[in-house]
Amino acid sequence: MAVKTVRNTCVYCGAGCQIDFTVDTDTNKIVKAVPAMGRTNQGTLCLKGHYGWDFTNDPQILSKRVTSPMIRRGGKGGKLEPCSWDEAIQFVVDNLTKIKAKYGANSIMGTASARSPGNEAVYVMQKFMRACIGTNNIDHCARI
Amino acid sequence: MNHFVKGNPDLCMGCRTCMIACVVSHEGSHIFEIDPDSYSFNPRLHMVKTATISVPVQCKHCEDPACKAVCPNDCISIIDNVVTINTTNCIGCKNCMNACPFGAIDMTEVKCEYQAKGEKKIVANKCDLCRENPDGPACVAVCPTEALKVVSEEDLINNVEKNRQNTAKELNEASLKAEKVCK
Amino acid sequence: MTNGVHEIEDAKCILNYGYNGADSHPIVQRRIIRAKQKGAKIICADPRVVEAARIADIHLQLKGGTNLLLVYALSNVIYREKLYDEAFINERTTGWEDFVKVIDQDRYTPEAVEKTVQIPAEKIREAARMYATTKPAAILYGMGVCQFGQAVDVVKGLANLAMMTGNIGKWASGVGPVRGQNNVQGACDMGALPNNYPGYQAVTDPAVQEKFEKAWGVKLSNENGTPLTHVPEKVLNEKDPKKQLHAYWIFGEDPAQTDPDLEEVRESLRKLDLVIVQDIFMNKTAEFADVFLPATTWCEHDGVYSCCDRGFQRVRKVIEPPKGVRLDWDIISEVSTKMGYKMHYKNTEEIWDEMRKLCPNFIGATYKKMEEYGGVQWPCKSEDMDDKGTSTLHVGKFSAKDGKGKFFATEWRTPKELESEEFPYSLNTVREVGHYSCRTMTGNCRLLRSLEDEPGWIQMNKKDCEKLGIKEGEIVKVLSKRGWCMTRCLPTERMQEGATAMTYQWWIGACNELTIANLDPISNTPEYKYCAVNIKKLNDQDWAENYVKTEYRNIRSRMGIDVEAKEAK
Repeated sequence: MAVKTVRNTCVYCGAGCQIDFTVDTDTNKIVKAVPAMGRTNQGTLCLKGHYGWDFTNDPQILSKRVTSPMIRRGGKGGKLEPCSWDEAIQFVVDNLTKIKAKYGANSIMGTASARSPGNEAVYVMQKFMRACIGTNNIDHCARI
Repeated sequence: MNHFVKGNPDLCMGCRTCMIACVVSHEGSHIFEIDPDSYSFNPRLHMVKTATISVPVQCKHCEDPACKAVCPNDCISIIDNVVTINTTNCIGCKNCMNACPFGAIDMTEVKCEYQAKGEKKIVANKCDLCRENPDGPACVAVCPTEALKVVSEEDLINNVEKNRQNTAKELNEASLKAEKVCK
Repeated sequence: MTNGVHEIEDAKCILNYGYNGADSHPIVQRRIIRAKQKGAKIICADPRVVEAARIADIHLQLKGGTNLLLVYALSNVIYREKLYDEAFINERTTGWEDFVKVIDQDRYTPEAVEKTVQIPAEKIREAARMYATTKPAAILYGMGVCQFGQAVDVVKGLANLAMMTGNIGKWASGVGPVRGQNNVQGACDMGALPNNYPGYQAVTDPAVQEKFEKAWGVKLSNENGTPLTHVPEKVLNEKDPKKQLHAYWIFGEDPAQTDPDLEEVRESLRKLDLVIVQDIFMNKTAEFADVFLPATTWCEHDGVYSCCDRGFQRVRKVIEPPKGVRLDWDIISEVSTKMGYKMHYKNTEEIWDEMRKLCPNFIGATYKKMEEYGGVQWPCKSEDMDDKGTSTLHVGKFSAKDGKGKFFATEWRTPKELESEEFPYSLNTVREVGHYSCRTMTGNCRLLRSLEDEPGWIQMNKKDCEKLGIKEGEIVKVLSKRGWCMTRCLPTERMQEGATAMTYQWWIGACNELTIANLDPISNTPEYKYCAVNIKKLNDQDWAENYVKTEYRNIRSRMGIDVEAKEAK
């Protein structure tokens, strides 16, 4: 088994713990999490830090990892069906353009994730809402 | 003397990381590959929470264990200073569960091991100080607040010695005080 | 937080207010425990016996919904007993006289409030004296303060306590809202707010608008946007079609599980013309999606998170993502480009550098520094390697234009929905230590799932359980004006009589079917911590167990799990 170690910041809670992951590079799977000497965590982790990486291997316990874009065919009440990325992106582009033209920019709302995606993705999302759509209707789940 | 793991309620915050570590230590790392319904999740230490206490409770590894005395099948023995249950021979009579004054033993289902008629096999389950784990008890290793400690014979002796010293000091102070009063 | 997590253990006194670190941030709670071990005094204000209450010198076990009364009573004692820091107040603050006019009223003395907050007056006095005289003192607060219809006033009330005692701008003191999610601080930092650009720069400030217009090469709106919690209102109740919301791009969130009053949320999702869901797993919200955009998850991409004490830290790609998913920022950039606004980035560092240069408080926090130092706490105003960021805020002066801290006070309001004959218990929604948010991540981790699973628990006082004749583990039905759910009963000495608590990530024990969307007028945070419920004993427990099992199986199946194949194994 070929292994490598990569340091990461924990995705659960605001404590910002540093974790060293051992990865089996042959199978592309995480096999172990070891607490690292981060400023806030000083070589300690809680149960989520120690055992919360398992979902990255898609064990299909609670819900399935989605690995293909999907479109609801036949409108509301229809079924979500896999489609190509080109089709999904075009669907989003066409519908947003249509709604913006009909009701204006403020009829579109966007959220940014306070979880796994990270600051850069959030920055890009708010820039998209403000610069491309033309609205400040952008928020996230800070209140939730 | 036998070793044991002791929890400190002043440091414990009830997070139960220790309970998961216990299961991982005994199931092995294949636990991250199998269906979670295919084995029984049965930690060998249990978090107790009252209005004033949070602390995990586990086996004290007694020198003359009540569990061992009541086992009708001689499944409980002391191996390398660890009170150990032989789960292959255990008949699940629950005598040990009742006899343990610390509530440290419960019963667990052993998956994939069936009795002759196909019923599930249920055996006694308790802390074995992770004797097969070269790094020692997993609960102690993962606790983020160091609320769990292995207490060794040396620790016990040192502690007793410290208590003796303190007692001697107190006796000395008491006698000095008495002297003062007399004067 | 005004101070770093690492400073907490040096505090001589900690006022832990509406904050249960043991369940929400165990590794922050660890610092509280260390502080206690080093001799700090701990005061815990919480209706429940949380872990901090258990180790506290004084536990102020207030009645839920009376936060502001207690905070004012503490201020009243500090003022009347002259325990305040006059020099600090004179040099560093404004608004003291107006503030005193409010808190010096006789109705805010401990004796006047003791009946309502349900804490003996002398205990409140003792706590006020302890906080005011044991320095440095740090305040840590959590959702027990924020998730009320009157939340911002209490936050300001806690800041008043710190200012009047001079406990701010110093090591191991200050006011710490310990942010819940891993990157909720970051989402705010990056301007995912309807009123702020990245770096807390107001969208209504013309100079800021001009700066961003120049950088982004486009005309921008100076009108504050819609907060997330106003979405149902804007979809369901807004009559003017031009002011209604018609499209909702939901990115890495599950409002159909985590927002209050779920029936109302579902109604809005059904009514919207377009629901775009960008996520990693199937979830409750995705059931309403018109289009689903699958993205990479944690450990599959690079980036930066901001932890609760303003610490920027690197996130790294650990494993290769599965085929078929794309990076979040790459998906959004392509949509933008195709809609006519070109966005193209090579990597996260390029995005980060663009952002940094627009935000004076973040400009010095380069990837290089994060690699070298492990992280950088903002403000970090210079790219010079010697500027390693800032652990303690407000040293010497505050960030307001005049550099002063402003006292603020207003009068107390009760929660919106109080207990009644029909709904005689109060419900508080809380955290499960082993699960996170809507639980699509932790519920898909074998061991965390095994430790706690559906339908969750309702924590109740033992006497209430005896009265209702329900035992530990029994499934009960919980009802409010808005909906119902089923969960297991957990009798505990840690709850007050008449009060209950549930964790919010379960599908069957979904407490947000019960909660009320009463929002704080400033923060727009819902009153998750207080609504009225009733608890019904279910006589047929076999039926209840079977209901939970079947329902769980059905939902998992809807979430894409092949339950039949799993059962056949």
